[in-house]
Amino acid sequence: MKPTDKPTISPDVVLREEFDDWAVLFHPLTGEAVGVGPVGVTIWKLLDGQLTLAEVAAQVQARCEDAPPTVLEDTLAFVEDLHRRLFVRMKDEG
Amino acid sequence: MKDETRVMRTPRTVDIDLTARCNLRCRYCYFFDNPAVPYQDLPTDEWLQFFDELGRCAVMDVCLAGGEPFTRPDLPALLEGIVRNRMRFAILSNGTLITDEIAALIAATGQCNYVQVSIDGSSPATHDACRGPGAFERAVRGLRTLQRHGIHAAVRVTIHRHNVGDLEATARLLLEELGVRAFGTNAAGYLGSCRVHADEVMLTTEERMVAMETLSRLDQQYPGRIQAAAGPLADVRMWRRMEEARAAGAPPFPNGGRLTACGCHRTKMAVRADGAIIPCNMLPHIVLGHINRDSLAEVWQHAPALNELRMRHTIPLTDFEFCAGCDYIPYCTGNCPALAYTLTGQVNHPSPDACLRRFQAEGGTLRVKDEG
Repeated sequence: MKPTDKPTISPDVVLREEFDDWAVLFHPLTGEAVGVGPVGVTIWKLLDGQLTLAEVAAQVQARCEDAPPTVLEDTLAFVEDLHRRLFVRMKDEG
Repeated sequence: MKDETRVMRTPRTVDIDLTARCNLRCRYCYFFDNPAVPYQDLPTDEWLQFFDELGRCAVMDVCLAGGEPFTRPDLPALLEGIVRNRMRFAILSNGTLITDEIAALIAATGQCNYVQVSIDGSSPATHDACRGPGAFERAVRGLRTLQRHGIHAAVRVTIHRHNVGDLEATARLLLEELGVRAFGTNAAGYLGSCRVHADEVMLTTEERMVAMETLSRLDQQYPGRIQAAAGPLADVRMWRRMEEARAAGAPPFPNGGRLTACGCHRTKMAVRADGAIIPCNMLPHIVLGHINRDSLAEVWQHAPALNELRMRHTIPLTDFEFCAGCDYIPYCTGNCPALAYTLTGQVNHPSPDACLRRFQAEGGTLRVKDEG
């Protein structure tokens, strides 16, 4: 996953907001569920296929007061993990 | 520490009695013969509208039961509605109506967690004793059909007076001959039709001991392949822990001493076949609202009766005359509220069925040898 990539969420995946800003991402075809915190929810909602991951990370930094300096690396790792689980897709993946 | 007062925005799972029709009349069925239940079905459109709401609520799983879900001719349309709303599903069935056609359709959804078939014995003699002639052959055929289509076929064995002596042969049939990964066990409980036929089907204390001993032995013979959330195997596992803790003077269990069981109402709720929203399909008399008329999220978060159930865990067992002087209180959860209700008339009461002290007073012993 690169900072210039523009991944988008899989339309199959459900964002289930449970308590406060905490949520579960759930893939009904695989049955896999991933717990995500408030920052993860923010990233998820920004993955629209238009923004690059660098832009996503910048928006996270702007919205979260306590965002760490590694926010870009953390965003790339988070989205890479979701991509491996088929929760997000790249443009050419249909 | 877990905050026991917080409630999710919506339930993760909804148990749905999809129909009040069944082609069998099993003598210990928890569903039928309940005077609080009207036994009416909803049309297809009502369920599809409700499934759309479940989708908007981001419910993850539905469990379809009844009644027999496969009696509904519109089952394909209903499953399509569930899948379209990005949920996974399970079906609880007697197995007798499962055809290649419907199994292929279920497999094609890719969103089925499992289909559970009830098989209560190793032969028609034991299975059909409470389910009626021909049920065994058809259930086994249904199970094989599911397996042939690559569907996770789960099996539930309900233990009663007519099959308690057949458990070893049943385990052999299921695990060795039919290739089932694991099967679940429980016992005929004092609910629904079982209340009408209690003397004929419910285990005596001596039979309960036989079941506990046999299942414990089978559990060692087939590690991890015999499951129990309730019934004799669950009881003996829990009661042995309680007895060991009492004998050692161990500190109270974290969930002991209060009505902490079962906790399901924190993650799931249920709907009757007539559309009434209820806390659990074992508590169908507690009506919280009605689908497509009341908001599911509103009912989930604010129904007084549901929130009262959620506070059940604060009630100490020492409040009950039933528990007076019991040495097991620090290790006891009070067990199932539904059985507490049918046996005592009160939901907020420990279940006598799961009471170790009562079991011992009736001559029961935990005579299972510890071979572990």
